[in-house]
Amino acid sequence: MAIDTAMPILVVDDYKTMIRIIRNLLKQLGFNDVDEATDGTEALQKLRAKQYGLVISDWNMEPMTGYELLRQVRGDDRLCSMPFIMITAESKTENVVAAKKAGVNNYIVKPFNAQTLKSKIDAVFGV
Amino acid sequence: MSNEASRAERIKEVMDEIGMGNNGDISINEILSLAQTMSQSLAGVYRAVDASVQREFREIASYIEVMKSDIAGLQANDLKQTHLPTAGKELDAVVEATEEATNTIMECAEAIMCADATDHDEYKALVDDQIMKIFEACSFQDITGQRITKVVETLTMIDERVTRFAQKFKVQDAEGHVTEEEAARAQRKKDLILEGPQQKGEGVSQDDVDNMFSAA
Repeated sequence: MAIDTAMPILVVDDYKTMIRIIRNLLKQLGFNDVDEATDGTEALQKLRAKQYGLVISDWNMEPMTGYELLRQVRGDDRLCSMPFIMITAESKTENVVAAKKAGVNNYIVKPFNAQTLKSKIDAVFGV
Repeated sequence: MSNEASRAERIKEVMDEIGMGNNGDISINEILSLAQTMSQSLAGVYRAVDASVQREFREIASYIEVMKSDIAGLQANDLKQTHLPTAGKELDAVVEATEEATNTIMECAEAIMCADATDHDEYKALVDDQIMKIFEACSFQDITGQRITKVVETLTMIDERVTRFAQKFKVQDAEGHVTEEEAARAQRKKDLILEGPQQKGEGVSQDDVDNMFSAA
C-alpha cells in the first residue's frame, strides 16, 4: 500500500531549525503539505482546525510538551486515531515506555537521518 | 572551718529557722547578711561560668571571623556581577553562531536542492558557490569552541570556590528543594519525564527503541 504523500503533516518543535530540517527531509520524501507548531498547545489548536494525516512531534517543549500533546490527542474522540511519531532527544527507557503506553505510533531518537524518518513513516502506515 | 564552709553553715541555719516558721525571729540584718552570704558563695560560680562563656563567645567570634573571611573568599559579587553574566553572554553567542551557521548551511542545501540541473555548467557553478559558503559557515566551530572553553573555566572556578568552602565548614546539604519554584520545576520534570539529551553511551539507541516497538 502506498502512502498518500499529499496528506497534510503537522511538525511540532520549539526549535525552528529542527522544523526546517524535518520539513526539508519530508520534502525529499515527497511530502509537500507541511504545517508547523512550536508547542503542544498550538499544535492542538491546529489539529482541531484542520484534518492532518500525521503528527511528528518533539517531546521537550514549553508550555505543553509533546508527551502531553500525545495524551491530549489520544483522549480526544475526534483525534484519537491520529498517527503520531515522536522525534526527541529524550532517550531514557522510561520515556519510550511512557510514550508507547500513551499510544505513540513510533519513536525516533535525535539525532536521526532521512532513512530513519522514512522507515518510521512507512511503518506507521504499514508499508 | 573554711570561709566557704562557714558561709554554708550559716545559710543552713537561717534556712532551718525559716523552715521552722521562726520568721519573726529573723531580722532584716539577718536577711541582708544571708543575701550577702549567698551572693558571696555564688560569686565564684559566676566567675567560673563567665570565664567559660566568655571563652565560648570568643571561639564563636573567631569562627564567625574565619567564616566571614571564607565567605568573602567566595567572591560571590564578583561571580554574580562579572563571571556569570559573561558566561551567559558567551553561551548566547554560541547559540546565535550555531543557529546562524545552521541556517546558512540549510539555505545552501535548499538552493542546491531546488536548482535547475539542465544546464550543467550553470548548475556546477551554483553548487561550487554553495559548497564554498558551507565551508565558510563551518568556521563557527573554532570560535564557539573558544567561547565554551571560557564558560567551562567559569564553572570550574565556581566549583573550586564552593568545594573549598563546603569542605572547610563541613557543609551538609539541606534536604529537598530550596524554593517552591525549584520544587515545582523538579516535579514537572519528573511528571513529564524531561531529562533532556543523554550522554554518549547512556540512554537508549534507535535500535533499542525499535526492539521495544517490535516486541509489542
